[in-house]
Amino acid sequence: MSVGASPADMVTYQSHYAGAVTRFAAYAIDVAVSTVAFSLGLAGISYGVQIVTGHQVHWNKSDALVAALFVVWQFVYFAYSWAVSGRTPGMALLGIRVVRADGTTLDPPHAMLRALVFPLNILLFGLPFLLILVQRERRGLADLIASTAVIYSWDARAARLRFLARQAELTAGDALPSGPDAATYPKS
Amino acid sequence: MADPAETMAQQITERVVDLVVSALDINALAARVELNALLGRIDLDALLGRADINAVLTKVDVNALLDRLDINALLEQMDINVLLEQVDINVLLSRMDVSALLERVDVNDLVRRVDIEAVVQNTDLGAVIATSTGGVASDVLDAARSQAVGLDQFVDRWVRRLLRRKEPGPDVPPALLPPPAAATPAEAAP
Repeated sequence: MSVGASPADMVTYQSHYAGAVTRFAAYAIDVAVSTVAFSLGLAGISYGVQIVTGHQVHWNKSDALVAALFVVWQFVYFAYSWAVSGRTPGMALLGIRVVRADGTTLDPPHAMLRALVFPLNILLFGLPFLLILVQRERRGLADLIASTAVIYSWDARAARLRFLARQAELTAGDALPSGPDAATYPKS
Repeated sequence: MADPAETMAQQITERVVDLVVSALDINALAARVELNALLGRIDLDALLGRADINAVLTKVDVNALLDRLDINALLEQMDINVLLEQVDINVLLSRMDVSALLERVDVNDLVRRVDIEAVVQNTDLGAVIATSTGGVASDVLDAARSQAVGLDQFVDRWVRRLLRRKEPGPDVPPALLPPPAAATPAEAAP
């Protein structure tokens, strides 16, 4: 059973409220990216401190300072991404974007408010994510508090043209004869 | 006072002329006239030279004349092919102001009417797009996004079934709703 949307559907879904699977996949990518970036940052700081002072710094995951830095980093990562472009790197990959509830562009204050209440999803054991499934506009708890929504927003028309171009290329490839004469068959 | 004899002569003459005219058969007389010979003796150029054509034309009501013309009947009698054979297209085109013509063309409307997808599928443009915008990354992204959208729809259908929701929610935020399609001239007509 194939559940992938057809290229035609991808065009028609533009600006529709994004579904739970896409949003969760984007969030998973963001968690991975931000954690890797945070780890690299800590490693960079350790290296810098070692060069300057000659002392090695060891970061412990259970350290309160590291936890606090991680929380602040997470806030900066999400708030800055949403405020600047309405999308985090994970959302950009999956082709979704945060907008105001009425569909207008997200402004920095609402982006920061969304980033502030976003940890509620974790603190409430992921239950607010279920809201995305049952809410008619597919808005989670952070969306409802910050008056935002998430929509599909990628260049689906270009994607459809790429798909059609590939199809045309494959069809042309199938039309070419195989066998010894194939090498001399004109391709244009 | 006129001479009585002269008056009598005039009365007699008038009476005679009346009798002659009433006795004449004008139609028979006209039938005996050789019109071609008569017309041959007329100098039309001299006649036209004496006529003030402009004065005549100013008295003509051209609109009334055109109203009485049956253009369709006139066109039906014309052989367009013969007419077109006599037209020198190159001369015609050299006289045309192409820039002025293009200024009157709504290029955006023209482009909107083009079926880009058919062009991509049926021409080498497809290959150009595939090679210029393609790449493994964009292919993977397109595939991942379409799969994710498909899964979203799949989950959404099951949730609607579980919640026994008959009416789906709104698809698009209000500000992103597509503008209503402009009425075509045929629809706009009463």
